[in-house]
Amino acid sequence: MGTAILVAMSPRAKGAVQAKAKPTSPAPSVRPSLPREFIAQHKQRRIMDALAELTAEQGYEATKISDIVKRAGVARKTLYDNFAGKEEVFLAAFDAARDEAMRRVEEGGASTEDDWQMRVEGGLAAFLGWVAENPAAARMCMIEALSATPETTRRYEDALEAFVELARRALPHDERLPETIAETLVGGVAWIVYQQIRRADAEHAEDLLPELNEFMAAPYLASA
Amino acid sequence: MTLPRGRHGLSREYIAEDQKKRILTATAETLDECGYEGATVAAISGRARVSKSDFYVHFASKDVCFVAAYDAGVLHLRGDVLTACGRGADWGDGVCSGLEAALARLAAQPAQANLLLVEGLRTGPSVCGRFQQAIESFVPYLRNGAPPGTGAGRPPEAADEAVVGGIASLLGRRVLAGKADRLERFFPELAEFALTPYLGVAEARRIISSR
Repeated sequence: MGTAILVAMSPRAKGAVQAKAKPTSPAPSVRPSLPREFIAQHKQRRIMDALAELTAEQGYEATKISDIVKRAGVARKTLYDNFAGKEEVFLAAFDAARDEAMRRVEEGGASTEDDWQMRVEGGLAAFLGWVAENPAAARMCMIEALSATPETTRRYEDALEAFVELARRALPHDERLPETIAETLVGGVAWIVYQQIRRADAEHAEDLLPELNEFMAAPYLASA
Repeated sequence: MTLPRGRHGLSREYIAEDQKKRILTATAETLDECGYEGATVAAISGRARVSKSDFYVHFASKDVCFVAAYDAGVLHLRGDVLTACGRGADWGDGVCSGLEAALARLAAQPAQANLLLVEGLRTGPSVCGRFQQAIESFVPYLRNGAPPGTGAGRPPEAADEAVVGGIASLLGRRVLAGKADRLERFFPELAEFALTPYLGVAEARRIISSR
């Protein structure tokens, strides 16, 4: 998305646009002006994406602020204008990724029909799709977050709990099954996905759908 | 227990081995109490009652020590699980016994539970790799000798790993919540979780309730 806008906003381009408009007094709307907030958000996004990529490539510990600003193509000052430091960038990136993944799972698992199997499969497919399309973010959230800092570990735990809650709502209510069933199922799925990411094969996460779907349904089906 | 001061006629090898064991135990306990940052060489040595220089005789660094502590923990856990599995009358009984033994050990030794299930994912890449290997190494105990499965046939390969991973995840979260000493009460549901993909819910419950 961004490159066209960036070219328009770079100093040289700004000058070029102004130069072209010089002969007659420029109409107020000739120079494209994006709201300051949009630009700021765009830079924040680039910084967060840069951190996700770098963390996936070399780990959180080894990633320095200088690496991040270089990858993001922003000034050091810009990073510190928007974030207190490396950890805050990580947390913001984590939150954004988690929100996107949850949104997709909720959409994927939504069904007007009262068919729990469709809901579960839809949610799982959406999650695996998100992982496959966002390997760096998936690695950041599911591997690096566990060990980066105590706060990132906490975010991971909270996010896991949120997904367990989604699973609880999608799965059929069965009194004979223990309360912890959603938790063990989600934990098992998370483990399998974790290994897939570790093997640097996140792009093929969707291949896991049939097995994981069967795994989640097993406790609820009358006969295995 | 530390050795008495002064001449005691014990071989150098014995003393060294004893020191090493104390350091490994102290590592788990210090991690549990103080977390990764707080588990410094000074803190661990202090608890183990060895000097820092003696620590470095055995381990080049804190991280090398953590890996060794992790390996030792897995070894002891595996020993308990294998012994128990071996005593099982059949596959299902063996799985139940193994799980029971694992929960008993973890509940009795909260510092070990924390090390194996919580720190395993948190303390950096080398220990993380060990955690991964440990989980994978327990999968065969579930898979080997498993019945061919009912209905559509054998459960997919991922089911074994997901079962072990799911159990580890649940237990880890309980340990993190400070409930390590109550892990044994999860036995019935975790056993059901483990057996269901192979035997179906009804048969799994029958086996568990007949124990």
